[in-house]
Formats: sequence, structure tokens, C-alpha cells
Amino acid sequence: MSNISTLDNVAAGLRDTFDRSYTLPPASAGIEQTENLLVIRMAGDPYALRVGEISGLTNNNQIVPLPGRTPELLGIAGIRGGLISVYSLAALLGYPREPNQGRWLALCGNENRVGLAFGNLEGYLRIAAPQVFAARQEDAVRGHVKEVAHTANQVLAIVNIPLVMEMIASRCGEKSTSSEKP
Amino acid sequence: MWTFGRKIAAGFTLAFLLLTVIGAVAYRSINSLTTTSRSVTHTHEVLEQISEMLSLLKDAETGQRGYIITGDDSFLEPYRNAVDTMPKVVEKLRSLTSDNPSQQKRLEEATPLIQAKLAKLQQGIDLRRKGDLMQATRIIVGGTGKKIMDDLRALAARMEHEERELLGKRAEEVDLAAGGAQKTIIYGTLLCLMFITAAGLLITRSLSSQIGLAVKHVQSSSVELQATANQQASGARESSTAMNEITTTISELLATSRQIAESAQRVAHIAEETAQAARSGDQTVQMAHESVSAIKRHVDLIVTHMLDLGKKSQQIGGILEIINELAEQTNILAINATIEAAGAGDAGKRFAVVADEIRKLADRVGGSTKDIRTLIEEIRAAVNTTVMATEGGTKAVDLGARQFAEVTTSLKQITSLLKTTTEAAREIELSTKQQSRAVEQVNVAISDVARATRETEAGLSQTLQTATQLTGLSRDLTLLIQPTASA
Repeated sequence: MSNISTLDNVAAGLRDTFDRSYTLPPASAGIEQTENLLVIRMAGDPYALRVGEISGLTNNNQIVPLPGRTPELLGIAGIRGGLISVYSLAALLGYPREPNQGRWLALCGNENRVGLAFGNLEGYLRIAAPQVFAARQEDAVRGHVKEVAHTANQVLAIVNIPLVMEMIASRCGEKSTSSEKP
Repeated sequence: MWTFGRKIAAGFTLAFLLLTVIGAVAYRSINSLTTTSRSVTHTHEVLEQISEMLSLLKDAETGQRGYIITGDDSFLEPYRNAVDTMPKVVEKLRSLTSDNPSQQKRLEEATPLIQAKLAKLQQGIDLRRKGDLMQATRIIVGGTGKKIMDDLRALAARMEHEERELLGKRAEEVDLAAGGAQKTIIYGTLLCLMFITAAGLLITRSLSSQIGLAVKHVQSSSVELQATANQQASGARESSTAMNEITTTISELLATSRQIAESAQRVAHIAEETAQAARSGDQTVQMAHESVSAIKRHVDLIVTHMLDLGKKSQQIGGILEIINELAEQTNILAINATIEAAGAGDAGKRFAVVADEIRKLADRVGGSTKDIRTLIEEIRAAVNTTVMATEGGTKAVDLGARQFAEVTTSLKQITSLLKTTTEAAREIELSTKQQSRAVEQVNVAISDVARATRETEAGLSQTLQTATQLTGLSRDLTLLIQPTASA
């Protein structure tokens, strides 16, 4: 019975919060001073993606495998009427492949959009900009991590999406070059 | 092995056969002797008739000559007698020599000579009767009559000679037949005596040995019989003692049987009371069984409701999954809205705020759905536990119902068995009474047997005496048969 009363309180709180969001003035003053992050986890390590560096987020997409010698390329998926290439973010970061690694897709890029697949989304995080620091040498072991975000109980390595996209582009270039040479 | 009768019969049969053969041979020899003797007699008769024929002729001639000389008729008497008898003699001779053709032939030759001789004699007589003595004398002296007479004598001599030869042969045959008969009688008698002696010796020896062996067997059997009679007499004495003990025991058994009959009567009474109690218990158990059946129905209803509750909580879980998915999708939409709002610049700032609130709301909904899921899982676990407990209760109720049914069945069986026990106790009572009567009869019979045993003991003493006497008789018989075996 106590659990049910707790749930009643939770529902009331949700209702109040939602209603209040329409009554309070917009908190636009602090928007520039915050960082919106998606907290993900790969091979047990916590990571963060900047919301501003991705163009969308989907889940439970059908990924069709493609033959090829690029182990990071999981295949292609149909998103909003178009086909995009899907890469394993864990593989791109140097982790071994994980089960259920294609559950979440972070859509990146504007013209040549690709999907970065990962298996576990822990939530949305908004932190103050000063809580983001440049990564130390030991944190920047992987070349695509330049910054870290300090939260109350953990340190999140922020994946630099543009660097990841450059790496994908460079690998695609190598492939195309190597395929043109003969 | 041949029996005594067969041996004696065989000996007598062989002796009989031997005597029969000897008798047959002797009879044959005597018969031959008789036949030969008859032939000799026949030959003597023929010789006698030949002599008679010559004698008659001489008498006739003598009478004729006397008459011629004297003229006296009295001298003719021999002549007349000869004339009258001569045909008979000749006829008898013909009859006696009918089996001898040569003698018949001679007789045929002699017959006309006889007639001629008698005619000459008649002629002389006739002349003398006429008174012519000279002429009659001349006929005598003339020699005709003498010649006829000489011829007749010669014929008679040949006939006699042949008969004498036949007589000699037949005498030899008589001697041979008499000798054969004597030899047959003597040698046959000797052979028969030897055979009878040998058979007697053999039969005597065989019978002596067999009877001796049998007597020895009888002697040993009588000794064994004596020992057995001793043992049986001892056994009879022991049996008599045992019978007395059995009589005492049966008397005790009789008293015990009466006690058992009384106990069986009490058991029948108690079993009847127990059967009544079992019937009452059966009714109580039946009511309890109906109560348990009602409890079972209620428990089944509870199980059904609990299963419905489990199904509905499962359905709530499914709906919660949908809500959770909606919250997740809302969260994604809110994130995407935030992204789009960020891309829209200042125009999207207020939208970004709303999207952020929606995202928060979705986050909190997602958290709440997790809590609700936890609660539902707890409810489902509680329902499962309750269902399992209820099913356990149902099984316990089923078991109780079955046990009640078994108890009911057992009580019915107990009632039936008690009925059977009552009947059996009554039968035992009756049987025990019959047994008591039977034991009384057995007691009487045992007393009779004891008396018979004593009589048997006395009889066995008599048997022992008889066996002893039989042993002595066997020994005496052995001495009679084999005197040398006495040692």
C-alpha cells in the first residue's frame, strides 16, 4: 500500500512539474552556459555525446549488414525515407563488438549522414559549461576524446563527434583510394 | 526257476512216456508173436488134415479089404465113415490152404485120385456083395488101387513137406518175435529203472537244496520276526505309556477348548458393539467429508480468482511496457526536439524549454514505470506464491478428501470386517463347541486305542513266542533235510 501511495505522489509531482513548465517564464538566460549531453556506456565505460553535435536520435532500427572489409561498418538502415551507413561507435573507439550494439543510433552530419550505433543510453544530462574540462593525457588515450565532463559522482569522456566523422571519412577515403589503385 | 510241482511232474511225465514207449514196443512184439503162433497152429492143422485124409483112405481100404475077405458088413464101417468124412476133410484142407496156391494146386490133383481110389474100393465092395470074391480079389491084387494110393501118398508127402518148411520158418519168426519182446521188456525195464532212479536222485537233490535254502530263509526270517516282535512289543509298551499321556493332554485340551468357546462368545459380543461404533463413525466421517468437499470448492474458487489476478497483473505489465515504450519514445522525441530547437537558433529556445520539460517528464515516467514494474513483479510474485500456496492447500484438501474417502472406505471395510469377525467369532464358538465334543470323542477313542495297544502288546508277546517256535521248527526242518548242516 505504501508503494501505491508513493506512486500517487509521483504522479502528482509529474503533473505539477508539467503544468508549472507552462506557467514559469522561459529560462533562456542560462542556456548558453550549459552543456547538453547524452550519457552512454560502452563496454562498461561511461561516455557522453554532445547533443549539439548530433542531428538526431533513434532506436530499434533495422540494420542490414553489408559485405566489406571495414569491421566498424555494421550495415545500412532506413531513417526517415533515406538510407544511412551505420557504424559501431564502440568499434570506432577501439572496443570489441558488443551484443545489442545497434539498439541506439546517433545521427551525425548533415549531407552525408551516418549513424553511430551504441547499445546503452543512460540518459540526458545538462551540466554547467564550467564542468567541462580538457582531457588529461591519460584520459585522451583514444584520439577522439578531447574533453571530459565532471558530474557529481563520475567523470564522463566526451566523444568528439567531428573527429569521429573525420576518421570515418578518412577510412572511406582510404578504401576508395585503395579500391581505385588497381 | 522250476517249482517243486513242475520238477516232479516233469519226472513223472518222462517216466510215463518211457513206460508208454516200452509198453507199445512190447505190445507190438507180443502181437507179432501171437500172429506167428497162430500161423504155426494153422500149419499144424493143415498137417493134421493131411494125415486125416491119408488115415481115412487107409481106414476105407482096410474096411473094404475086411469086407471082401469076410463078407461081413460090419467091416465096412470104417469105409463108410471115410466116405462120409472125406469130403469134409478135403473141403477143410481147401479152406486152410486157400492162401497157398501151390497147396491148392496139389489138392486139385489129389481130389480125383481120392475119388478114383474110393471108386475102386466101391467097385471091389460091389463085386464082393454080388459074391464075386475072385473078381473082387483081383481088383485088389491088380495094383491099380495101390498106384493111386502111392500117388496120393506122394502128394500128401509134398504137401506135408511144404507145410513143414512153413512151420520151420514160422517157428523162427516166433523165436525172433519172442526174443524181441524179451529184449524190449528187459532193456526197457532197465532203462526205465535207471531213468526213474536218476530223476529221483536229481529231484531229491534239487528239492533238498531248494527246501534247505527256503528253510534257511524261514529260519532267518523267523529270527528277524522274533527281533521285530521284541521291538514292537517294546514300542507297544511305549505307545501304551504315550497313549496315557495323550489322554491326560486331551483332557487338558478339552478344558482349554471350553475356555476358547467362552472367549469366542465374548469376542462376538464385542465385535458387534464395535460394528455399531464403526457405523456411527462412518456417518461422522461422511459429514466431515462433505465439509472438506465444500472447502475444496472454495479453495478452487480462490485459485481461479488468483489466477485471474495473475493474468490481469500480467496484462498490466504489458500495458506498462507500452507506457514505458511511449515514455522512451517521448524521451527520444524530446531529445530530437531539443536538437531541432538548438538548430533553430533563438526561435527554438522556447520550444527547447518545452522539449526539455517533456523529456524530463518522459524521464520521470520511465522511472515511474520501472517502479510500477517492480510493484507489478512483486504482485505477480505474491500472486504466484498465493496460487502455489492455494494449490498446496488444494492438494492438501484433495489429499484430505481422499484420506476421508479412504477413511470412509476403511470404516466400511472395518464394519464389513467386524461383521465378518462377528460371524467368524460365532463360527469359532460353534467350531470350538464341536471341537470340544470331538475332543471328547477323541478322548474315548484314545482310551480305546490305549486298550488296543495293551492288547497288541499281549498279542506281540504271543507273536514272539510263535516266532521262537518257528525258529526251532526251521532248525528241526533243516536237520531233517540236511543232517550234515546241523553244525
